[in-house]
Amino acid sequence: MTAIPVTVLTGYLGAGKTTLLNRILSEPHGKRYAVIVNEFGEIGIDNDLVVGADEEVFEMNNGCICCTVRGDLIRIIGGLIKRKGDLDGILIETTGLADPAPVAQTFFVDPDVAERTRLDGVVTVVDSRHVTQRLEDSHEALEQVAFADVILLNKTDLVDAGELASVEARLRSLNPFARIVRTERCAAPLDAVLGIGGFDLKRVLEMEPDFLTEADHEHDQSVTSVSLREERPLDPVRFDRWFRTLIQTRGTDLLRYKGILAFSGASRPTVVQGVHMLADSGNTLSWREGQSRASRFVLIGRDLDAEALAAGFAACAAS
Amino acid sequence: MPERRWETGAWVVGLAVNRAGTHAAAALGDGTVRLLDLADPDGGPRALPVHAGACLTVAPDLDDRGFLTGGDDGRLCRIVPGSSGDAAVEPLAEVKGRWIEHVDAEPQAGLRAFAAGRQVTLLDRAGRPACDPLDHPSTVGGLAFAPKGKRLAVAHYGGVSLWWTKAPEAPVLLDWKGSHLGVLWHPAGTHVMTAMQEAELHGWRLKDKAHMRMSGYAAKVRSFAWAARGRWLATAGAEEVVCWPFFGGGPWDKAPLELPGPGSAVITAVAPHPTDPVLAAGRDDGMIFVTPLDGTAPLPLAGRGGSAVSALAWTGNGRSLLAGTEDGRLSWITPAR
Ligand SMILES: [Zn+2]
Ligand SMILES: [Zn+2]
Repeated sequence: MTAIPVTVLTGYLGAGKTTLLNRILSEPHGKRYAVIVNEFGEIGIDNDLVVGADEEVFEMNNGCICCTVRGDLIRIIGGLIKRKGDLDGILIETTGLADPAPVAQTFFVDPDVAERTRLDGVVTVVDSRHVTQRLEDSHEALEQVAFADVILLNKTDLVDAGELASVEARLRSLNPFARIVRTERCAAPLDAVLGIGGFDLKRVLEMEPDFLTEADHEHDQSVTSVSLREERPLDPVRFDRWFRTLIQTRGTDLLRYKGILAFSGASRPTVVQGVHMLADSGNTLSWREGQSRASRFVLIGRDLDAEALAAGFAACAAS
Repeated sequence: MPERRWETGAWVVGLAVNRAGTHAAAALGDGTVRLLDLADPDGGPRALPVHAGACLTVAPDLDDRGFLTGGDDGRLCRIVPGSSGDAAVEPLAEVKGRWIEHVDAEPQAGLRAFAAGRQVTLLDRAGRPACDPLDHPSTVGGLAFAPKGKRLAVAHYGGVSLWWTKAPEAPVLLDWKGSHLGVLWHPAGTHVMTAMQEAELHGWRLKDKAHMRMSGYAAKVRSFAWAARGRWLATAGAEEVVCWPFFGGGPWDKAPLELPGPGSAVITAVAPHPTDPVLAAGRDDGMIFVTPLDGTAPLPLAGRGGSAVSALAWTGNGRSLLAGTEDGRLSWITPAR
């Protein structure tokens, strides 16, 4: 059974999510998508804005998508997968107020959903002019950015080049994983948004350039990213013990993490990634020719202690 | 004995036999209903185009012949098999932009119920709404009439609402946190059971709202049914058919009966025989078997292979078993007696 790719569209109210959704649906791609719209109280998405004759729109109006609605999401996907072979993808548009973590976790937590769908990626739309302020005053805006596989830096026409560069640097410091795509009116090429394999283990290495980007450690901000690197091979037992303790004690503060690890004696790298307390690992990849066999681990989270993490990671090196 | 099988190419979402026992209907993920004439052992299933998108549920209608189906297209349809192999499809209701995933009909009360989103609508024999739509706090996960139809149980997030069908004003709430995805009345009307989003069951004894919580399953309990006139609750979701005792003070403090199949795989569907103390069960490896409630050896009816068994139904006389799988195998089995 082939897994149906799922794309989660998120972003603060007014950032341009609906414009993006309409763009995806109206492009002549010949594909068939089901759209799940989360309606939150009165500031819901107007159904009339969602176009495209071949797409179904399912509304989840049980409140905020990240709470009771996880059950609803599972139920709706359960209904969608019965129409076998019929769908090219599922798009979930979350309310601007939702925390995306529980939505993403649904794709790992529920066995039926995990078996039949594949979370392709989280696409976050941000408004160039307002995102800096949003990041100051909204926990959800921070999480949406921290969670993204792709950030559409939208409404670039409304800010000057200097401002844009500083916004981009700020986004990059929060989330070094994400690909940032600058857009006006969400005019992004579809392949920048769909089929990105953002949550797919196999694609992690392809994001390697971003992986190595030097992250700023802004200690005055609660959400930051920390990049760790170790040239010596790691001891699997030590790593396991350190990492297990980390997710048990700090799991709720870890928004996302990804690592490519070189264990001593292993011929292939191991990829670790996760959301909050949910970690996933596998070693389906091979080292590329000429690639450095260093271990890299990037964490995005709240109140991360970069020095302690670096020391803990370094202590995992095989002696 | 025999098993006759057809490949339909679409997920078998549900199976029902009409009250006269003359026909079986399979609801399919491609929106068609396959109708089998049970008096014609040489005939095959007839495909009726009924719903746009998927067909999501099927149940016997109020009368002897008909079926009710609900679908992706928000339509509730009545299907009436004709005498000469033809069939009529009559739309009974339509709710735009919603799925109709749950239907039930109760002949003694003369009522049909269907859910669309958070609302449940009751229809009378003529197909007219019997009252205002019944509202629930969240999307309906399942519904079932009590025996004789005086009450209706509706499962949703946070529990079950119990309505009096004659005067549905304020429902009684049986509360339990979590998503409830299916609901079942005890045949004596004394208990209400739900299957949850998690791999467990929850239940209430109505006289004192005492809770029951049955966990330890390997998978979601997608199928559960009463066996031996309500003495046992047979459940899917484990590698054995797990049967909870509802007699002698049970199920509290009583161990369930665990009836293993031949070899091991997770049970995905159960169907107690209508007259004999045996159960049919289907597994995620496609195998179908019957197992006696006394724990003697199970008997395979269809071998493993293919995908999970998604629907099972006996005819009222217990001579035929209908089975369907996720990848579209439709079987008509007549076990030797
Ligand atoms: Zn929430
Ligand atoms: Zn959060």
